[in-house]
Parts: sequence; structure tokens; C-alpha cells
Amino acid sequence: MKNFKIAEPKSIEQVSGLLSKGGEKVSLMAGGTDMLSEIKEGVAEPDLVVDLSAMKELPFIRKNRDGMHIGAMTTLADLASDPAIRSDYPGLYEAALSVGTPQLRNVGTVGGNLCQRPRCWYYRDAKFLCRKKGGSQCFATRGRNKYHAIFGGGICHIVYPSDLAPMLIALDAKVVVVAPGGEKVLPLSEFYTLPSKNVRRENILNPNEFLREIRIPPPKKGERSTYMKLKERGTWDFALVSAAVKATAGGNSFNDVKIVLGGVAPIPWRLEKVEQGVMKKKLSESMIKETAGAALQEARPMEENRYKVALVEALLVRSLLSIA
Amino acid sequence: MKEHEIVDDLNLAYLEEARGKKAQGKDVPAEAGEDFKLIGQPTARIDGRLIVTGRAKFTNDLTLMNMLHAKILRSPFASAEIVSMDLSQAQNLPGVKAVIKLKEGRVKYEGEQVAAVAAISEKTAEEALQLIKVDYKILPHVVRPEKAVEEGAPQIHDSANVEKFNEYSRGDVDKGFAEAEVVLERTYKTAVEIHQTAETHASIAKLDEDRLTVWDSTQAAFSVRDGLARTLGIPTSKVRVIKTYMGGGFGSKLGLNEHTVVAARLAKETGRPVKIVLNRRENSLCVGNRPSTSITIKGGAKKDGTLVCLSMKNYTCGGVGRGDRCSEPLIDIYKCPNVKVEEYTVYTNTGASRPTRAPGHVQGTFALEGFLDELADELGLDPLELRRKNYSSANQGETGIPYSSKGLNKCYELGAAKIGWERRNKKPGEGGGKIRRGLGVASQIWWGAGVPGTLADIKIHRDGSVEVICGTQDIGCGTRTYIATIAAETLGLKPEDIAVKIGDTVYPWAPSSGGSQTTPSVAPAVRDAALKAAERLKQLVSTTLNIPASRIVLAGKKLFDKENPDVSVTFQDAAKELRREAVFHGERSDLPAGFAYNSFGAHFAEVEVDTETGQIRVAKVVAVHDVGRVINRLTAESQVVGGITQGVSTALFEERLIDDNTGQMVNPNLQGYKISTSMDIPEIVPIFVDLIDPRINNLGTKGLGEPPRIPISAAVANAVYNAIGIHLREIPMTPDKVLKALQGKEANS
Repeated sequence: MKNFKIAEPKSIEQVSGLLSKGGEKVSLMAGGTDMLSEIKEGVAEPDLVVDLSAMKELPFIRKNRDGMHIGAMTTLADLASDPAIRSDYPGLYEAALSVGTPQLRNVGTVGGNLCQRPRCWYYRDAKFLCRKKGGSQCFATRGRNKYHAIFGGGICHIVYPSDLAPMLIALDAKVVVVAPGGEKVLPLSEFYTLPSKNVRRENILNPNEFLREIRIPPPKKGERSTYMKLKERGTWDFALVSAAVKATAGGNSFNDVKIVLGGVAPIPWRLEKVEQGVMKKKLSESMIKETAGAALQEARPMEENRYKVALVEALLVRSLLSIA
Repeated sequence: MKEHEIVDDLNLAYLEEARGKKAQGKDVPAEAGEDFKLIGQPTARIDGRLIVTGRAKFTNDLTLMNMLHAKILRSPFASAEIVSMDLSQAQNLPGVKAVIKLKEGRVKYEGEQVAAVAAISEKTAEEALQLIKVDYKILPHVVRPEKAVEEGAPQIHDSANVEKFNEYSRGDVDKGFAEAEVVLERTYKTAVEIHQTAETHASIAKLDEDRLTVWDSTQAAFSVRDGLARTLGIPTSKVRVIKTYMGGGFGSKLGLNEHTVVAARLAKETGRPVKIVLNRRENSLCVGNRPSTSITIKGGAKKDGTLVCLSMKNYTCGGVGRGDRCSEPLIDIYKCPNVKVEEYTVYTNTGASRPTRAPGHVQGTFALEGFLDELADELGLDPLELRRKNYSSANQGETGIPYSSKGLNKCYELGAAKIGWERRNKKPGEGGGKIRRGLGVASQIWWGAGVPGTLADIKIHRDGSVEVICGTQDIGCGTRTYIATIAAETLGLKPEDIAVKIGDTVYPWAPSSGGSQTTPSVAPAVRDAALKAAERLKQLVSTTLNIPASRIVLAGKKLFDKENPDVSVTFQDAAKELRREAVFHGERSDLPAGFAYNSFGAHFAEVEVDTETGQIRVAKVVAVHDVGRVINRLTAESQVVGGITQGVSTALFEERLIDDNTGQMVNPNLQGYKISTSMDIPEIVPIFVDLIDPRINNLGTKGLGEPPRIPISAAVANAVYNAIGIHLREIPMTPDKVLKALQGKEANS
């Protein structure tokens, strides 16, 4: 582990100032549950760690007329125990509760969860100089790839492990990004980027920008949502595959449905083909399987992760039928 | 059931006899124990509060004056030649006190030690490691046993990569197969398991003149002492090893470790105490593992289920080490006249295997018990009935010497009733639905008779306070507590009245804590010492009270006349009669020859398998064990819970994964190497059959360390088989494997 300096800014302006200094490698620390393990493993070697825990203005959950506003430093435990979240966005409640363990949720934050680094045991171990760390190969392609991506991989097969991200994208959430020139508001679905665009990072944030807030539109009439996560063990496990679904019911079918998967790709992975296939139709297990089957033709599994395709199919059936 | 009741009755008959003898005042080897007030009851750990409040000192908690911290540089490569090594930069770093080379020439696995540093802080030592320049020439490696056996594979040692290390035969298997009406051949595989101790390895070495003192997180203080003396070329009399509290070993701390020698060498080099603590990565790479196995069993039986022959071939891979002998359960536990065993080790460029809680028996039982279930299905028999049909009362499958006691039938009976065995699928996989339920059983045999010659002293002070002194170590199982309990029981005191002094080689000798031998070694020695102390006190009090010593009873902190309890003296007053501090030497006696001493058990598991996601949930485990007399029911039950937790974990999750291309481990941490969490632990029902062995020792007790770890993975796999109709024949049974097997079944049907 390399030595680093630590700063504890009290305001947004101070954070922006620290990020814009230039010259040194700066890492933002929210809950730190992910970042500290990267530092300990020698994967991240920041010169300066900016600890956001003293930022009094960043933890908040506010219900406004235009929807829910959630501050980046809100803990996952607070998110999961908020009554308005639970009643308006049941899927988000489920997603928050599915993260890690109670200890991790007490410390981990919404912003940290959305900006955490990806999962891949080659990336997470300093001894493997992989493409994501500036090397020239993806070790997973011909190596041990049981937990790796079946969609969107190509040059790098990391998976994005956030439980909140797929659900928030399904809920049409927006993120507020603080940039030197002011704030930007953009859909969370445009926040994440594939390795083919820039293999070194997972989102659009520039080094001098940071995520401040999440906004979720108010639920429509008849809106339901669910988040289902398949893990190997009972708790403290990242998703093998997860499915976030939001739908608006009309009669005995969905007028509108959004499906985003976690654990299968370097970014939260939307299944628009399945959405189109199941919309405005009477849902049944066989119909969902058939639709999923066609969409899953696009999966590109490797030697050890083919089973994820079957998991996606099972999850689609279960999640869609659970809110039908 | 009647026809199979053979040896279990031995014990019952013995108990009747013993009770009779006792009534006549005759001495018997193991007491029936109906008078015991503490032994056999649940007793809370005497050190429980210290441990849970963080006051118990573990090796890593100790700091000595002027102490240095050591770190070891390890090979990042699975196979390489060290061309050159430059220590100078590391030596010149301020705060570094010594840098030593540990290796020249070829390194054969990732994590092999190369050099070491002692510095004023862990951080400085870590920095110094980065400054050691090693020039490696990378050599071809092989990490997968299937590849290591191929022609032209890189050779690990001077010998071939495949070596036969064990064979056994009795009867004539060819004749057996000719007689068999049903023959089945199946291959079972187990993955490499890492000893994930809560406390990683730690040692502190201190040299005073020519005397070496080592504090070590070890299961084997005396063996570490002897090993250090041998390795460093100093007399055993000048080495002392102290073990304080410990957070698990499971075999990875059974004996001297390389890093402990490094600490001693650095202490000598610097003249200062040196501490070394391994991290989780080192724990994963270089202090041992349970070797993988690929075991093929071919067996034949009559249509009624009578086993006529069993042959077994084991290919075990222990990296640069030897792997495990896995044939004992197959050779021993079931009645079978014709048996043939061949065991081979396969070498690879990975860290050496080491004993891991029931080495060989876990893997051998997984294969044997899985095979029996598949055979039962082939024969159309109840798997439990097949096991009972081939029940044996003598070892070596009824061809050897009789078991001193064997309560396995009782285990079957109690376990089947408790789990509701009749609820199983009569035909594996016959239940419908997406979530399938199944029940499975597996039997267990182990040793655990204890080691004759184990010593323990009881010291009674003139103020009536009592110490038990024994060099044994408490590796987390509750040794301190039962030592106090036995002494208290025998002397009529309370466990908290006894000061227990253990974990130091200056105390009387006791064996390593491995092989389930601590309790059956130490408990009888303590009992022996306590009986001698009690006898002496009775003699003294007999004079004072003017009654025969045989009428005196020690209970309630008093010595009194059992015919007239009012005639009494307090324990404290009786102790004064000793006139000086008195020491009573106890020894664990010899094992009577002509008998086999083994523990037995049966686990019954209930599982749910999600056929769409491949997830397995173990819902319930009923674990019934024959371990002779239970000394402390609370810690005994904890032992069973721990064994099952580990076994469920390896059945479902645990596997060391190595990247074939680089030869490096991809999950040397608790993120990628998954162990069971509290949410994965099933409802566990521990049951003891309480059959007291008539001759094993003066308490009739057998060891329990390993037994609950042995049959559980097999029972879970058999329950999965019962649920889905496919035996996976491989652990861990992760969702990918379950789904693949189910898809294979679908494709075949």
C-alpha cells in the first residue's frame, strides 16, 4: 500500500477545488468500502484521498413534486429504510437491501455504489497487468472467467456489480454531476461507458467531476418495479446475474416495461428486445422464454460463464411474472 | 433393524456390567459415569468472556521490547529460475535491520519464499521487499493435474509428475467382480480447499543468549519446538514454544512452518525479537491446502445389496506436496471381502498440500458415500438399508480386529428418525417442480483414540487453590474448559475454581492438536492426575475424620462421609493437610491391544435445489455421532456445528482457482474464495449416541475434532442426487455445475 494524503472538504466548492488542482492522482472516497480494498491491494495508488464523509449537504432523501432526490452520500442502509422509497419504488428498496451485508450497507453510499470500480479478479489483483490497468491483454478471455461478462465484453470482460444502477436506470433516474463549469444533469443510462470506448474507466466522469445527486421521476399510475439478484451464497456476494424491472400495468399486460440486467456486462445491460417482445402482450412463462431466447442469441459467453445465459432467462421469467 | 444390531450392544452390555462391578466396589477402566455432575453436561467456556471481549491475547496481540517486524518476499511465478538477487537497496533502506536470502535456483510455485526482511515497522519491511531485485527466468509451468499427467508436461520434481504412493489389497477383486450381480464404476472429484483460519499464521521469535523462545499460533507447540531445534541445530532443551489463544488451524498450523524458522533466523541475525504475521494472500498460497482428488470406484454387489468387491483408484494433487491418502474409509467401514486400492499423487506447480481437517477421509468419504448411493439406486435399495446390510463389527471390512465400540447403527437409527428419512424420494429425482427437495445420508469413520503417554499435572496449593498444568494447546475447541471441568468433577469443585495452565512446552508433554486426539489424550491424563489427588486427600481426611477412605466423597467443595454427610471437612482444610504444595502426575494410559479404536457418525442432509438457477440450499442437517463419552455437551455441539459449516461451505462454494496461462491464483482472498456465510448455514441438529467406550481410556471418550467434517459434503451431494436424480460427483456444487448437469440430463432424456 502506498502512502497518501487525505483531505476532508466541507463544501461542494472545496471538493471541486481539490479535484481541479491537477498534478496529483486524486481519489474520491464516499463510504470507502470499495476504494480502500483497491488501495490495500495496490490496484489504486492515489496521492490524495478526498474523504466526503464530512459533507453535511450530501446525505439526503427528499420527495419533491418532480420526484425523489437522493444525495450521493446517503447510506444504502438509509435508502433501504426510507418509507417513501419503499412505497414508491419497491424495486429500489429491494436493490438497496441486496447490497453486501448490514455492515457494508451502514457504510456504503448511493454515490459510491454507482461509482464503484468493476469486478474482475484479474483487474482487482495488482499482479495481473491487464488491459484495464494499462496492459495489453484481457486475462479473462482465455483464463478463469466464471463471473465475467456475457454481453458487451470484447476487449475487457469486467462486470459492473452495482445493484442500484440497473434498478435506477430502469426507473429512468438522472444523475447530477458537478463539473468545473457548473452542474450537468444526464440520464443514468448515459452515465456508464463500455470498455470499447475507454477501457480504463466505466463512466463519463472526468477527473475533475463528481456525482452529487440522483433524481428519480415520480412513479406513474400502475407502476411497479422489482429487483431480483442471483448469488452463489446467501449474503455478501455480488450478483451472478441480477434483473431490474419496472413496468406500468394496463389490463393484464404491460403498457410500458424497462428491463436492465446487472452482473452480465461491463455496464448495466438493458434488454430492449425483450422489452419490445413482452410489451402489451399477455405474459406467460413460455412467451417470456421465447422472447428471452431470441435476445440471448446476442450473448457471447466464454468457457466458464455460459450458465449465466440460463440464469438471465430464469430471472426474466421470475421478475416479469412477479409484477404482472 | 434387529438383524443389524451387532456391536452397539457391546457397549450396553458393558455398561450393565460396569454398573454391577461398581456396585461391588471393583475398579473398572472407564466409569459408567452416572454419578458425574459436570462431565457430560453443557459447560460454558471458562475463557469465553475473555475471548469475546477482546482481552484474550493472540500471538499477533503480543509486542515485545525492541521487537522487529518481518516480511517475506515470495515468488510471483509458478515456475522460474532465480538468475540473480540483489538485496543491497533493501539493506540500505533506513529502518531495515536484516535482509536474508531464502532461496536459490528454482522456485516451483506461486508464493514460494525467496527472501525476508526484518525492519522496525511492518510498513518499512513492506517497502524493503519492493527494493529487493530478483531477476527471474520464467520456466514452463503446469497447474492443472489433468495437464500434469500428460506426456511432455513440465516436470515438477526430479521424479515423474505421477507417483504411486499407496496400495492395498485383500481377497481377490477379480473373483469378486465375477461373483457380482451388479457392477458400477464412477469417478468423483473434489477441489482444492484452503484452510481459511480466522487468525492467519503468526510467530514471534526471541533469542536470549543461546535460548530461543517462540510464540506461535500453532496446533503443535512440542512439534514446533522439536522442528526448530532440528532445523536450527540447537538442543531441544534450549527451545521453548508458547501458544496463547488461537483463531483456528484446521491442519495448516500442525507443525513447524517456514515463516517461523524465518523469524528465528532473523532474531538471531539482528539480536532482537522478530514478529511475523502472514496475510490472507500468503494464507491462500503457501501454508497448505486440502489436495484435490479424482477418485474412481468400481464396485460389485449381489442383488440383495451384499458388497462383494470394491476397487479404488485415487489421483490426488497436492501441488509440490504429496496429496492425501483417501482409501481408509473404503478399506475399513463396510463389510467387503475383496478390496483393491491404488493411490497416485500428481505434482503441479502449486503450493504444497497439508493435512486439512480429516485429511483424505473427507475426499474418500465423498467418493465412497456417493458411490453407495448410486449403487443403491442401481439395486433399487434404500441407501440407508444398503449401508446397514454391509455393517461391520471388525475393521478392514470385517476382516480385521473388532472395534472396541461402534455406535454407528444407533447413529443411523436416531438420525433417520429425526430427519424423517421416509420423506426422501424413493427414486432419486422423482419429485416434480422447479424447486426439488431431497434427503441424503453419509457415514463416517475416523480415528481419535488419543496418544498414550500424554501427561498432565495437578497442583494443589496450601490455600486449597488448584492448578492443572499441561503442555497441550487450546486451538479454539474448548480444551481449557474441559480440563477445568474434569478436575472440578473429580475434586468436588467448580470449573471456575481451577486455574488451567496450558500452551507451553515447559509444561508436561502433550501431543499435537490434530487428528481429533487432544481430548482423548489430555482428558484421561487430567482425570488420572485428579483421581490421584483425590485419593491422597481422602487418605489424609480419613485419618482426621477416622473413617475409611473408601467412604469419603469429594463434592460441593467438601470431603465427606457418604454414609453420614454431616461428617465433613472443607476442600480448603483438606488441602492444608498436604502441608506443602503438592503435585500429582497424571498420564494417559496405553490402549489395550486387540481392538480397533474408531469414532463413527452419520449425517442426514435435507436440501432444496432450484432447477432453473442451479442454486442449492441446505435446509437441515441431522448429525449423529458416536464419540464415546461426551465431556462438554456445549462445546461438543459447537464442534459439530463448525464441522458442518465448513463441510456445507466446501460442498457448495469453496475452490482454489488458478489461471492456467500464468499459473497464478485468481482468488487468494475472501472475496473470490467464497466461504459460507451465516445465511448459508442450515438448521443443525447435533445428537450424540452416548455409548461409552469400555477400554479406550479412563473416561471412555473419543475425539470429535474431525468427525463432523467428514460426511457432510457427501451427505449434501447425496441429498442433491435424491432431489434431482443426478449425482454431480464433484464439489463444490456451484450453480454453473448444477445447471450443466441438469442440461445434460435433459439432453439425454
